[in-house]
Amino acid sequence: MERMKIGKEKFGDFLAALDKQLYAPQKVGETLRFVPITPEDKLDLEFSNTTVPPKSVLFPQTETLYRYELGKTDLNLPDDEAEKVLLGVRPCDARAMAIVDDLFSWDYNDPYYQGKREKTTVVGLACSDPEVNCFCTSVGGGPASTEGLDLLLTDLGEVYLLQPLTEKGNNLCREAAEVLEQATEEDAAAAEKLHQEAAGKIVRKVDTEGVTEKLMELWDHSLWQDLSRACLGCGTCTFLCPTCYCFDIQDEAEGLEGRRCRVWDSCMFAEYTLHASGHNPRPTVRERTRNRVNHKYSYFATKFGKIACVGCGRCINLCPVNIDILNILAEVIKEAI
Amino acid sequence: MVDLEKLRTVAKETISRDDVKYLIGWRQGTYGFRVTPCFIEEPGEAEQLIFSPLCTNNLASYLIVTEKLPLPRGEKPDTRKVAVMVKGCDSRAVVQQLIEQGIKREELYIIGCPCEGVLDLKKVEAKFPHILDPVAAQWGKDKIIFQLPEGVVEVPREEVLAQKCLDCRDPNPVIADITLGEEIEAWGNGEYQDVKELEAKSAEERWAFWEDKFSSCIRCYSCRNVCPMCYCKDCILDRLNPSWIYRSTNISENTAFHLSRAFHLAGRCIECGECERVCPVDIPLMKLNQKFSKEVEEKYGYRPGIDPEAKPLQSSYRPDDKEDFIL
Repeated sequence: MERMKIGKEKFGDFLAALDKQLYAPQKVGETLRFVPITPEDKLDLEFSNTTVPPKSVLFPQTETLYRYELGKTDLNLPDDEAEKVLLGVRPCDARAMAIVDDLFSWDYNDPYYQGKREKTTVVGLACSDPEVNCFCTSVGGGPASTEGLDLLLTDLGEVYLLQPLTEKGNNLCREAAEVLEQATEEDAAAAEKLHQEAAGKIVRKVDTEGVTEKLMELWDHSLWQDLSRACLGCGTCTFLCPTCYCFDIQDEAEGLEGRRCRVWDSCMFAEYTLHASGHNPRPTVRERTRNRVNHKYSYFATKFGKIACVGCGRCINLCPVNIDILNILAEVIKEAI
Repeated sequence: MVDLEKLRTVAKETISRDDVKYLIGWRQGTYGFRVTPCFIEEPGEAEQLIFSPLCTNNLASYLIVTEKLPLPRGEKPDTRKVAVMVKGCDSRAVVQQLIEQGIKREELYIIGCPCEGVLDLKKVEAKFPHILDPVAAQWGKDKIIFQLPEGVVEVPREEVLAQKCLDCRDPNPVIADITLGEEIEAWGNGEYQDVKELEAKSAEERWAFWEDKFSSCIRCYSCRNVCPMCYCKDCILDRLNPSWIYRSTNISENTAFHLSRAFHLAGRCIECGECERVCPVDIPLMKLNQKFSKEVEEKYGYRPGIDPEAKPLQSSYRPDDKEDFIL
């Protein structure tokens, strides 16, 4: 389908025309995350990125797998998912979805994730103002990358340009056809110019060529001790990473009722690999930091053919002790033979 | 002000001592305003050390969180001291750890750094975004002087200092083996203004305030992990049988988590503000901890981490303790 456009003042009409559950970034507490909205809610998409990535919608931090009652044999499964639209997803976070898709459809087709993923249309917004730690262009992305997106918006000032990318994206444009206008050649050219300018604003870079193999060569290198020593072992870098997907399964009972749920887990927690015997194969922050980097840049890359990092920069921005994945990669590249 | 040359000389001398295994200090981070804790093992590495308004981390946390591997059979433990650089608030953490017998005095060599207040990086990075090249900062009179890539910029201290520093009553280390620089006159008034503002609100308003903040918690436990006073080997948050606090994130469990932690810190929080600094979702945790500090100070005249000879609040009793709040 062709490119369309809509005046910003009419964007609420566009949303109202979509008969779907809408999610968009809103402030919860002090920070932005994706939450359900209505077409009447005030939308503010003028931010660099949300603190909590949109994975929280497709892979919620806490998700009920089923409910049970003591003394009864039937399990209550969650209701079928509604059709959803995720609005204002940044291209890096959309690429992360394409990465996580591989995991949740690999040896086992995860019905909870896939149930939501299949019914979700992802509407992206091209970045115009990358943050200092954005490095999407080093890991195969860009401020207007389309992978993982169904529809890409570009902010042209007064209007949004809509670029449908998949059948789901086409469907959105069809549903809202009445409020959309055909975009002109000039609009498309203006968007292209903005995309290039944004890419030019990205300052941090790393050459990931061969890093998958280099990491394996440096398994026992002293750099892991040096670069991880300040780590506090919190879950900030992993919980807020758009490609981190580890979870724990917990039973939570109240009285005679209970539920089995899955909750985000983090390989940076000491408890994550703690065996029942008391032995821990990753006993210190050194092994855990190495695992985090190796998983993204080596293990996942070897298994699925792509690096599990989209360069959103959250782990760098939010680390309390300035453990910086680009610094780690730079050291790895320097030390490898 | 701490002289950088003196600091590095002292650090070199310290690390050269036979009875010191390593020194924990601060060095320039990987970009912009960031500083990172560093662990110095060789005298030559002392050249990296800095002390400036950017040195936010409370290094006393590492005295207690550093993981130790079990010793190979036959090997003797390394009983040499850990040298640590402390600001005023950080030194209170050391004192409180000593009072609680979390660490022993003979295990430490403490380098005190009188501090005129550290920065709130959220304020600073909002003021000066997109800065990649390392920035240096120093204290001036009532201002902070930044050496930005485009030149020197001066900012009034109240615009960029962390709130806990604007209210600081303990700029000088309360314990040290050696103190660098001159003693600084304290400026905080102990008024707990932030707490009073919240207290003035109705219960409904206060609940709405905390419900909004706690709803955003992602339970990364960075507040717990960074806290120099959170060092239980078996934390109730990790317990599964029984599971005192469920792992699921919702307003009920998140509130239980934050209130449990606040209660466990009552009479122990030394007000370094690290929990609030590291929170990735900006929960104003110091408002909660300060409420407890205020109660403890008003009811018992007790401030933790000041006097190494004091007993922990919970294990001290005085016949003249106030009783007027007992229902």
